[in-house]
Amino acid sequence: MKKSNIEEINRNIYDIKNKDEYDFKIKKGLTAEIINEISNQKNDPDWMREFRLKALDVYNQLELPSWGPDISELNMNEIATYVRPKSKLNSSWEDVPEDIKNTFDKLGIPEAEKTSLAGVGAQYDSEVVYHSMKEDLIKQGVIYTDMETAVREYPDLVKEHFMKCVPVYDHKFVALHGAVWSGGSFVYVPKNVKVDIPLQSYFRLNSPESGQFEHTLIIVDEGASLHFIEGCSAPKYNKVNLHAGCVELYVKDNAYLRYSTIENWSKNMLNLNTKKAIVGKNAGMDWVSGSFGSKISMLYPMSILNGEGAKTEYTGISFAGKGQNLDNGFKVVHNAKNTSSVVNAKSISKNGGVCTYRSLVRINENAKNSKCTVSCESLMLDDISRSDTIPTNEIKTDEVEFSHEAKIGKISDKTIFYLMSRGISEEDAKAMIVRGFAYPISKELPVEYAVEMNNLINLELEGAIG
Amino acid sequence: MENLKLNETPIRTARNFNINNIKLENIELPEVIQDFKNLKITGNDLKIDINSRKSNCNLSYGLGDILTNQINEKSNCNLKIMVDKKENKETLIEFNFDEKNEGLIDNVEITANEESSATIIIKYNSKSIQKCYHNGIIKTIAHKNSNIKIILVNLLSTISNNFISIENQLEESSKVNYTIVDFGGKNSITNYYSNLVGDYSENIVDTVYLGKENQLFDLNYITELKGKNANVNMEIQGALKDNAIKHFKGTIDFKKGSKKSKGNENEFCFLLSDKAKSLGLPMLLCSEEDVEGNHASSARKNWRKRIILYYE
Repeated sequence: MKKSNIEEINRNIYDIKNKDEYDFKIKKGLTAEIINEISNQKNDPDWMREFRLKALDVYNQLELPSWGPDISELNMNEIATYVRPKSKLNSSWEDVPEDIKNTFDKLGIPEAEKTSLAGVGAQYDSEVVYHSMKEDLIKQGVIYTDMETAVREYPDLVKEHFMKCVPVYDHKFVALHGAVWSGGSFVYVPKNVKVDIPLQSYFRLNSPESGQFEHTLIIVDEGASLHFIEGCSAPKYNKVNLHAGCVELYVKDNAYLRYSTIENWSKNMLNLNTKKAIVGKNAGMDWVSGSFGSKISMLYPMSILNGEGAKTEYTGISFAGKGQNLDNGFKVVHNAKNTSSVVNAKSISKNGGVCTYRSLVRINENAKNSKCTVSCESLMLDDISRSDTIPTNEIKTDEVEFSHEAKIGKISDKTIFYLMSRGISEEDAKAMIVRGFAYPISKELPVEYAVEMNNLINLELEGAIG
Repeated sequence: MENLKLNETPIRTARNFNINNIKLENIELPEVIQDFKNLKITGNDLKIDINSRKSNCNLSYGLGDILTNQINEKSNCNLKIMVDKKENKETLIEFNFDEKNEGLIDNVEITANEESSATIIIKYNSKSIQKCYHNGIIKTIAHKNSNIKIILVNLLSTISNNFISIENQLEESSKVNYTIVDFGGKNSITNYYSNLVGDYSENIVDTVYLGKENQLFDLNYITELKGKNANVNMEIQGALKDNAIKHFKGTIDFKKGSKKSKGNENEFCFLLSDKAKSLGLPMLLCSEEDVEGNHASSARKNWRKRIILYYE
């Protein structure tokens, strides 16, 4: 039977809710004592413990944002910032505890690893429970491991880059991340190594009233290339969960990195994530982003084009339904000659959902002969939803070509009429148009992930149209 | 001397984007101000009531409490302009600043009655070496089927301060067409708000600015579409050379009920110097499904040859 109301729809695989079992769960709140306890539990080196405590000080000094969605419901005294699952880090799925393995099985991770990935990391609550990479990449010197292992085994590389691209002073939730981070992935691709098949890290939060604060640090050395895929999901609980991850990407001269994300957090999640890339001379950084989940999302990936001839592209879609406020966008700083950026952002609002595209384009004095093109389209599927476009454009040089276009509107009546005249029902016609609207984003993903994204769109559209 | 925080956007964005408001330091706000006498009105057969009494003006947005209160408490020139039903009038109002008229705090109220039409040119003019102070409000009510064209020309010296708040109320099938020529002022700060409550109401704003030396333009244009089939069109174009800075904050806000309404916003900035800076925040806000909103902004290189003619 066709379901007619979004609440009736089982989010099936994403809503798998395991029993809240853990090896250790830190008490709720955010104090120096708690930070020290996290450091103890993780056997941090001294420099990391000091870093965490300093970040806590910064967190306490900084104010909540005075803009964007209302996040006043977030009470850190009700959030457990560290939950260690009943599993150590494994390199074989057979060694992962049954309930956790089943969750990742249903999410399709082990299968994807076999068919289309060169390596996989899987995080459950605060720790990575599985990590593996193909032998040939290991032989070429590629490092793909969890962040804790990287801190221990590659301290110089980590110290040089950890929270340098995203300093703790950036904003309050970066400072929070610095204080309580746990898990995440570390990738180093040596000079001139091309990783042709993607790596994927998947982040799953199972524990209620908790937070996930994974740290992803990727260094693509000169002339190297990589496609990294990030997935995330969580089952829905009645109380707020928090995600404040941090992604730091270093794309050295002549290197290339594509960072793809399909975010499907549960609709009780506050997703206050930070992602930033520093892009070197003649290097390329592409972002592909599908944002479907979360109650509130504030996510603005950023490329800093520091090297002459550096390029970046952002292709993203947000889909907000009932009770969701997705405040997403992109930031780019042109900081060298002949740099270029292309932004293609889309959003769909339905059933009272709120989508905001918020962005920054900054072209500095030294970025002569740079080019930037921004296109932003918003689709409203009903008159109880909301869609806003809030772009900031700062141009500081005369030798530049910059253009920004934005459109907002509904599905064209004429197009629906045309499709219906071809025997397609109104509901199917609208769904077809929405999928076509999202196509420029899905075509940028590997086919398996494009299918997942289309499935998510179908799931979101059920009951919203017609 | 005052430090002022002015011209707040209707919706805030990130603080470090430095565009939610404008902060001006050490601005001299005149304490005692004499009547402004160098006012010239030509081509007039409009009903204009001129007085220098204190005004009582409430603004939906405006530049901020300090400047709005200054107008309410210290205005030295108030004009009430009435366009009668079915009239079609034209007039030129010139405020000429000189040694005896260095400060103007004015409140201009325009009422366009049903089916009236008028063209009103308001010009602020000063000698190039004279430091002037201008803080004004122009408030227009356009009743049903009225058609008002207002041309606002700022030719104050580039060492002056120019603050202006504009507010329009548009009823059914009314049209308000603003042309703003913004050349003067060291600081030229404009708050423009249109409230399109009437079905089929239409607001067109065309602005041209030219910035040189250390001029700062902060333009905050807000339009709210509430009636059905309402229409807004904003065209903002200008050029900046030397160390000039322009902030353009444009908001088209489709309120619930504004079905079939359209809003277009187009901004084009010519940068003629490496030290000039253009900051833009063209916002589209939408809580109504059946509308069409578009904005476009751009900056291009190599326009020097074409635009230099305007300066000379």
